[in-house]
Amino acid sequence: MLFESEAHNAGQIAISVRNLNLIYKTTVQKKPTFRQALTRTGRKIRTVNALSNLTLEIPYGSVLGVIGANGAGKSSLMRVVAGIVPPTTGRVEVYGQVSTLLSLGVGFNARLTGRENVILGGLAAGLTRAEIEAQFSAIADFADIGEAIDSPMKTYSAGMYSRLAFAVAVVVEPDVLIVDEALSTGDAKFKKKSLEKIKTLRGDNRAIILVSHALATIKEICNDVIWLDKGKIVMRGNPEEVVAAYKESLQVAKSSSADEDL
Amino acid sequence: MGKVQIYEPFKGGLPPVRPYFSDVWRRREFISAYSRSELRAQNFGSVFGQLWLILNPLILAFVYYLLIIVIGGNSGSERFAHLTAGLFLFYFITNSMIAGSKSITSGGKLVLNSAFPRLILPISATVISFFKFLPTFFVLGVIHLTLGLPIGPELFYLLPVLVAAIIFALGISILTSILNVYFRDTRNFLPYFTRAWLYLSPVLYTAEQLKPSLKPISYLNPLYTFLGSWTDILIKGVAPSLANFITMFSWAIAVLVIAVFMFMRREREFALRI
Repeated sequence: MLFESEAHNAGQIAISVRNLNLIYKTTVQKKPTFRQALTRTGRKIRTVNALSNLTLEIPYGSVLGVIGANGAGKSSLMRVVAGIVPPTTGRVEVYGQVSTLLSLGVGFNARLTGRENVILGGLAAGLTRAEIEAQFSAIADFADIGEAIDSPMKTYSAGMYSRLAFAVAVVVEPDVLIVDEALSTGDAKFKKKSLEKIKTLRGDNRAIILVSHALATIKEICNDVIWLDKGKIVMRGNPEEVVAAYKESLQVAKSSSADEDL
Repeated sequence: MGKVQIYEPFKGGLPPVRPYFSDVWRRREFISAYSRSELRAQNFGSVFGQLWLILNPLILAFVYYLLIIVIGGNSGSERFAHLTAGLFLFYFITNSMIAGSKSITSGGKLVLNSAFPRLILPISATVISFFKFLPTFFVLGVIHLTLGLPIGPELFYLLPVLVAAIIFALGISILTSILNVYFRDTRNFLPYFTRAWLYLSPVLYTAEQLKPSLKPISYLNPLYTFLGSWTDILIKGVAPSLANFITMFSWAIAVLVIAVFMFMRREREFALRI
C-alpha cells in the first residue's frame, strides 16, 4: 500500500461536509486579459452557485455514487473534497489520504511519456519515488497499454489515456478514492476489470466516491447515492430508489439509452 | 485516527507557513524529476539532441557579435568574451522569467486534479532554466582559456554572484507565474520586455560605455549590478565591491520574498482561474 493508511472500521466517518457553498465568479470572456482589466466596465461578471448549502457525511466502507445532469456541481464537489478548490463558505473534513479525481494529475504534460507523467503526478501528490516505483509495474499491468507507457502521452488515444489514469488511481489504494467519470472511455473488457477492482476496494473498508452518468454501474456497485441538481442535494439514499427518481425526472425511464452502461 | 485534512474558506491570508514550506520541501523529488524529464523532452527527436544546450547559447553569442561588428562597436576579442559572459547570465534570468510565466497555466491538468503547493511549478521552471545555463560554463571556460583571460582567486567570487542571480531569477519566475494566471497577455508581452531589458543592460555594451546622461538606468535596473560584477570578475579579474554584493542580494531577496508572499496569498485561487 502506498499511503500510510491505518485500517478503518466500516461506519467510521471518512468525509464530513458541512454547510458547503461554492460560488464561482467568472467573466463572460474565457481568458482574462490586460485589455479587460483596463476596460473593466465592458465585462460582465457571471456568478455561478456551483454548490449551495451542502451537508453530508460519508462513512468508511461505503461507495457513494454521485449523479446529476451536466453542471449539477458533481465535479465541483469532488474538487472541494480533494482540497483543490477552497470552499466559499462551510467546512470540509477528510479523515485519511485522498487519491484525487483519479489520475493524480496523470498526463499534465503531453510531451512526457506515460511513465514520466505517472511518476511526476505521484511525486506532486507527495509520494516518494521509491513508493511510486514499487507500485509502477502494478500500474502498468493494470492499465495494460503495453510499450506505449514509454511513448509521449500526446500519442495516446483517449482510451489509453483514461486506462492509465484509472490504473494510477486504484493501484495506489488510498483511504478515500474519488473516481470522476473515469470508466466512460475504456472498452468493455477494461470496464469489467475496473468494476471488479472497485468492488475489491469496497471490501477493504475504504470510502469511494464515484461520479458517473452510467446509471447501471451506479446501481451495481454503490450502496449509497446522492442526486445533485444545481448544487443542491435533491435526494440521497438507496441506489435503486434514487436512480429511479432521477430517471423519472429526466423522463427517460422508458428509454433504454440511459441505462446503457457508460 | 490518522491525519485529518480540513478545508475552509480562503480568507485572503497566508496558509500556515511552516507546513507549507515542509510540503514544498517534501516535493523536491518532483522538482528534480520534472526538470530532467522536461530537458529530455525538449530536445527529444532533434538531430543534435542535448547538444543544443551548448549550441543555443553559442549561436546566440555569434549573432549578437555580428550585430556589434555591423553597428561598428569595439569588436576586439575581449569584447566577445564580455558579450558571451553577459549574454549567458542575462538569458538564464530571462529564460527563468519566461518559463515561470507559463508554469502555472500550462500545468493545467495537474493544477485542476491534485492538491499540492503550487510553488513547486515556478521553482521547477527556474531549475530547468538553470540546467540550460550550466553547459554555458563549458563555453565560457573554453573562451576564457583561448583568450588567456585572468585566472586567479577572484574567480571564486563568481559563486556568490551566481547565488544572488539564482535567487533573483527564482523571484521573478514566481512573480510572472502569478501575473500570467490573472493576465494571460503577460506571456505575449514578455519577449518584448526581455528585448528591451537586454538593450538597457550592459551586455551589448560595457558599463563604462554608457552615456553619463543615461546613468540613472544603472540604479533602476537590478541586472546592471549582476552583469557588471559577473563580467568584471571574468574579464578583468576584479572582485566586486561590498556595495555591489549588498545591492545584488538586496534585490534578489526582496524580489523573492515579495513574490513568495504574493504567491502564497493567491495560489488557492489558481484552480478557479486555469
